[in-house]
Amino acid sequence: MSELATRGTAVPALAVEDLTYRYPQASADALRGVSLELGAGEFALLAGRSASGKSTLLRAACGLVPHFHGGEIDGSVRVAGRDALQAGPGELAAVVGYVAQDPETQVVSTTVAAEIGLPLELRGTAPGERARAVEEVALALAIPHLLSRTVDTLSGGELQRVALAAALVTRPRLVLLDEPTSQLDPVAGDELIWLLRRLNEEWGVAVLLAEHRLERCLAAVDRVVAMERGAVSFDGDPGDFLNWAKDADPALETPAARLFSLAGIEPLPVGVRAARGTLEGLGGGEPGAGRPAHSHFGGDGGGRPSGPPARNAQNVRRASGPRLPAALTVKGLWVELEREEELYDVLRGVDLEVRAGERVALMGRNGAGKSTLLRTAAGLVEAAAGKLEVPGGVALLTQNPGDYLVRERVGDELPGDEGLAVLRGVGLEHAVDADPRDLSGGERQRLALAIALAGRTEGEGLPALVALDEPTRGMDRARKEDLVDLIAELAGRGAGVVVATHDVEFAAAFAERVVLLGEGEPIADGPAAEVLSGGWYFATEVARVLDLPGVIAPEQGAEILRERAEGAGEER
Amino acid sequence: MNLGRGRSPLSYVGRRGPLQAASPGAAVAYLGSLIAVGFLFPSPLVVLAAAGALTIAGLLAGAKAAMRASLRMSIGLVVLIALVNALLVDRGETVLARLGEWPWFGHVDVTLEALAAGLGIGLRATVTILAFGVYSACVDPDRVLRALRPLAARSALSATLVSRLVPVAAADAARLRDAARLRGPGAAEVGRAALARRLLAGSLDRSVDVAATLELRGYGLAAPRVREDRRRSRYDRRFHLLAAALVAAAVLGRVLGLGEFQTYPSVRAGWDAGTIALATAVLLTGLGPLRRRPRRRAARRRRPGRSAPAPIGAARV
Repeated sequence: MSELATRGTAVPALAVEDLTYRYPQASADALRGVSLELGAGEFALLAGRSASGKSTLLRAACGLVPHFHGGEIDGSVRVAGRDALQAGPGELAAVVGYVAQDPETQVVSTTVAAEIGLPLELRGTAPGERARAVEEVALALAIPHLLSRTVDTLSGGELQRVALAAALVTRPRLVLLDEPTSQLDPVAGDELIWLLRRLNEEWGVAVLLAEHRLERCLAAVDRVVAMERGAVSFDGDPGDFLNWAKDADPALETPAARLFSLAGIEPLPVGVRAARGTLEGLGGGEPGAGRPAHSHFGGDGGGRPSGPPARNAQNVRRASGPRLPAALTVKGLWVELEREEELYDVLRGVDLEVRAGERVALMGRNGAGKSTLLRTAAGLVEAAAGKLEVPGGVALLTQNPGDYLVRERVGDELPGDEGLAVLRGVGLEHAVDADPRDLSGGERQRLALAIALAGRTEGEGLPALVALDEPTRGMDRARKEDLVDLIAELAGRGAGVVVATHDVEFAAAFAERVVLLGEGEPIADGPAAEVLSGGWYFATEVARVLDLPGVIAPEQGAEILRERAEGAGEER
Repeated sequence: MNLGRGRSPLSYVGRRGPLQAASPGAAVAYLGSLIAVGFLFPSPLVVLAAAGALTIAGLLAGAKAAMRASLRMSIGLVVLIALVNALLVDRGETVLARLGEWPWFGHVDVTLEALAAGLGIGLRATVTILAFGVYSACVDPDRVLRALRPLAARSALSATLVSRLVPVAAADAARLRDAARLRGPGAAEVGRAALARRLLAGSLDRSVDVAATLELRGYGLAAPRVREDRRRSRYDRRFHLLAAALVAAAVLGRVLGLGEFQTYPSVRAGWDAGTIALATAVLLTGLGPLRRRPRRRAARRRRPGRSAPAPIGAARV
């Protein structure tokens, strides 16, 4: 069926029927009897834990499975009426665009304009028509200023937009996105999701989006498809999905939904706006009522939680207890980097101190200087001016744990009894003979951390500073919870832990203190509960719903809502 | 100074300069003619002039980092070639040092002539490296590939993969080096071989990803050939003319016997006026990428008695 014939008709953008697929040499099926139909112009979210089959389904919908990866496949996949099992990815690219998780490997040209125009060039589109299409898609994605830039000078967020533009330039019926926000800061991530919504509404393009951070996109989608062990476990609208997740898979609940379910409020909210609307409807005034006028960062005004969670108690203990030694001292630190033969200041006179046993989240938008600060602390980058001291040593785990794994046996990475002791410290003593590539994502991260720590531990001790750079990229909530436990354990053993992260909910879960960087200098530094409830982008979903200083976790918020409900009942 | 992570100084940067705006053919003709001059004349003066012209061209085109990297690479190579030639070749009348019997080399005498001959070869290598540096930093590879694609689709595919994988591999290598430095002292040491093996394995994974992207972009489609827009840059003529002038001057110079240089049995250089003029002319061609500043027109004076037109919508009193 021709593209013109299917556009604007009732032919579904994607029709998957009883699809079962197994990768070559795999012992289990990656997809098991998946059936799914996505109508023209629908915007659907693909939810599920890691390895649940989301990426494989997306790859089947664009023809990479089985044409590129091989393997055994059964069932049918039709994209805008075309049989995806017959047509190759190149042929399907006329009707489907695909954006993968890592933007670096999905650009093939040198300049942005050439990259966006390549799919049209390869289809034999005339140069004039091509130039217009490139211009229009660049305008739609707000990147016309990037057209003359070379791709290796772009940030992760810019690169992701360029990849999206290259996927959209052929005006496909369906766009598939595999965790496109995993490398983006909250601002760029939100922008990308709402940009997709706008394109979906204005261009009528159907969108199938796989994401772990559901709170970021649930409000923008029409429908949610949840996957579990290669099969569809739920298919319905976002509100029903939240009701289903509450009982079936709480790891998929959004923080706002958890807030409401803990407080016993129905219906569970799909996003901040719905939650605030429900709360207003329940009476008790607008969310945020009772907060002090000077609520920005701090204040102990109305609505402040009385107790939970445990980290607050620890804060109080630390503040009143003995002053612990400094794990990191930074005074007037300036760092400059070269970009396109121009020097520019990445860090501008940073002052910072991290104490032993402290858990600090280093946040800020892409390019704010988070990674540079950690890399300078680890000695990878030279300071232009200022002082940086790490008296007890530092272990840094960079963004790609796989970079630390160079041998084919875990035991060969960490030899001897000391190596075994370090492996035991991160819970990997059982995997001594395994190939690092066979470990799960979380285990690989633990192994990389063990490699960074090896030889720096004395007895049960640790380096004074353990730094992690964006450790939650592509992680589902279960793995993030494991990481929160690991960080708590490291801090409990006396290390100051600094984690550079974009993930606000993760920061709220592990950090007792948040340092927010903007343009290379700290613009906020305080207890996590204060910093993460004092803004919009760098605030948890619960903080955005309730707008109460210091309230960032569902448990805290639920307690306040219950108290309010009880108060309102007594008044009546 | 901290360089941007994993970015090669030879990478193309899309600046707004004449050399970048010129078509790949014109840029290649210009740079190629300077390489030809370097190889046509044995005189170090002319070869140095070609190297100087390329350096000036690179700097005017804004490729400072590429020039720095190319010169650094060239200096090492010149020294290496000169030393090896001096040790291996025992021709020449002026013995600088008698180093006696060496295993494998036999009797080693270092002569001025062998040293000069080595330096001459090294200088020619320098011209080639500098030309490649300017080409790499100033000629848009996408335009080259676009020109190549209709002629040889498979070669263009390989070139596309390579041109993308080189910067990706450079970034991977930088990351792997960082990770190796960050390993704790108790972890197994990472030698160069292990790092190279890991980089190769990673590059294979990367190439699969890039190949998948190419497949999705439609590389496998047998699309009808489209006549590409052959709009010329206004700088094309300048670079073609310079290339033609250089080739003509080189041929004429050879016919007239300019730029002679003899190394064996003794060093004899022709420093005649003709050679010096040729070298100066070659050096001046390095100004090819110079951008002419547009002349500002003098503001036209309003004649007395005439009022300026009132802005649209303005009320006349």
